[in-house]
Amino acid sequence: MNPHAKLICTVSLIMGTSITISSNHWILAWTGLEINTLAIIPLISKSHHPRAIEATIKYFLTQSTASALILFSSMTNAWSTGQWDITQLNHPTSCLMLTMAIAIKLGLVPFHFWFPEVLQGSSLITALLLSTLMKLPPITLLLLTSQSLNTTLLTLLAIASTLIGGWMGLNQTQTRKILAFSSISHLGWMIMIISYNPQLTILTFILYTIMTSTVFLSLAQIKVLKLSTMLISWTKTPMLNATVMLTLLSLAGLPPLTGFMPKWLIIQELTKQEMTPMATIITMLSLLSLFFYLRLAYHSTITLPPNSSNHMKLWRTNKTLNTPTAILTALSTTLLPLSPLIITML
Amino acid sequence: MSPLHFSFYSAFTFSSLGLAFHRTHLISALLCLESMMLSMFIPLSIWPVENQTPSFALVPILMLAFSTCEAGTGLAMLVASARTHGSDHLHNLNLLQC
Repeated sequence: MNPHAKLICTVSLIMGTSITISSNHWILAWTGLEINTLAIIPLISKSHHPRAIEATIKYFLTQSTASALILFSSMTNAWSTGQWDITQLNHPTSCLMLTMAIAIKLGLVPFHFWFPEVLQGSSLITALLLSTLMKLPPITLLLLTSQSLNTTLLTLLAIASTLIGGWMGLNQTQTRKILAFSSISHLGWMIMIISYNPQLTILTFILYTIMTSTVFLSLAQIKVLKLSTMLISWTKTPMLNATVMLTLLSLAGLPPLTGFMPKWLIIQELTKQEMTPMATIITMLSLLSLFFYLRLAYHSTITLPPNSSNHMKLWRTNKTLNTPTAILTALSTTLLPLSPLIITML
Repeated sequence: MSPLHFSFYSAFTFSSLGLAFHRTHLISALLCLESMMLSMFIPLSIWPVENQTPSFALVPILMLAFSTCEAGTGLAMLVASARTHGSDHLHNLNLLQC
């Protein structure tokens, strides 16, 4: 892609995100969301492949609809209560419409249908941007308005997202779609706790960003787009495959790794709020996603010679040192012992 | 609810229903998106007149600018889909299924 165009798109992405997360007025928040949508469309469609164009069209239609709905809900609230402040969203219809609009923007169930297909049609780094950076402004808006939103609806969206994210990820062989469904189920966990303790949502989002960035960057380095490629990727960089396994198990939420921290704190908070059946349901549903993480981990590291596969193997062709991946891997596997510090800082 | 409030509420609702139930062509979806934005423009323009807040008068222009950029992007996607898929028929967008 043209370096000038890439620079403009990247700077616009950062600017749009900063505008939305620092705004107090709904119009400015909407402006930031529109800038984000407009800036990432060239990045998704830059390869001009039919699949990329299709992904861009689907992304554009859903995100524009959601932005218009956000503007409409803030307008209805302004005409009823006279308030354009983001934290003062009080009209019930506006709250409902805002919840639905943010669910469309984030890819929560039942508005998740665009997300796996858009991730599948974009390159791995663009998919990383779509999963992490583009989720930040809508989650910020949800955090600012979380007191006025209907708790039952948010809980229903969360449990449905975890269910669908886990269940539909089971039959996938393309790694981008698997990561899309993992993103949907993590968003379910984030939305579950937003009415009770919004700071846990921030913590879950930060840890999810670190772990997902690690997985995407590692997969981009060994160029793994489907499961069969993952089976033979150990010959390219053996150490990276071992760390990919650890990071995937961390995403699944297994105890000595970082991914356990948000799940543990969310379950603890839900139990304190007398929502033990919900805590049990959401924990059991994340076992579904554990299965496909474990399958990915098996394909990357646990099945090794003499159990060889029938594919041709590339021997040690990629020897580049990748510092961001290394730092993010360390963070995404070893942060659990620091949880007392993190809890006091929340 | 005053007649004015009802009119822009129903204009937006019908446009969004048109967007949700589009069937054949991508261009009809883009048209409905534009009409949603237009139905947002009217109340934003009336707000500074009704509430005597001239500082809000530039907001409809800002909204219109961004929605026009969005419309331009949508039309670029229409041309791109005509290039890669041959037409703007929505049932041709089936390359990425699970």
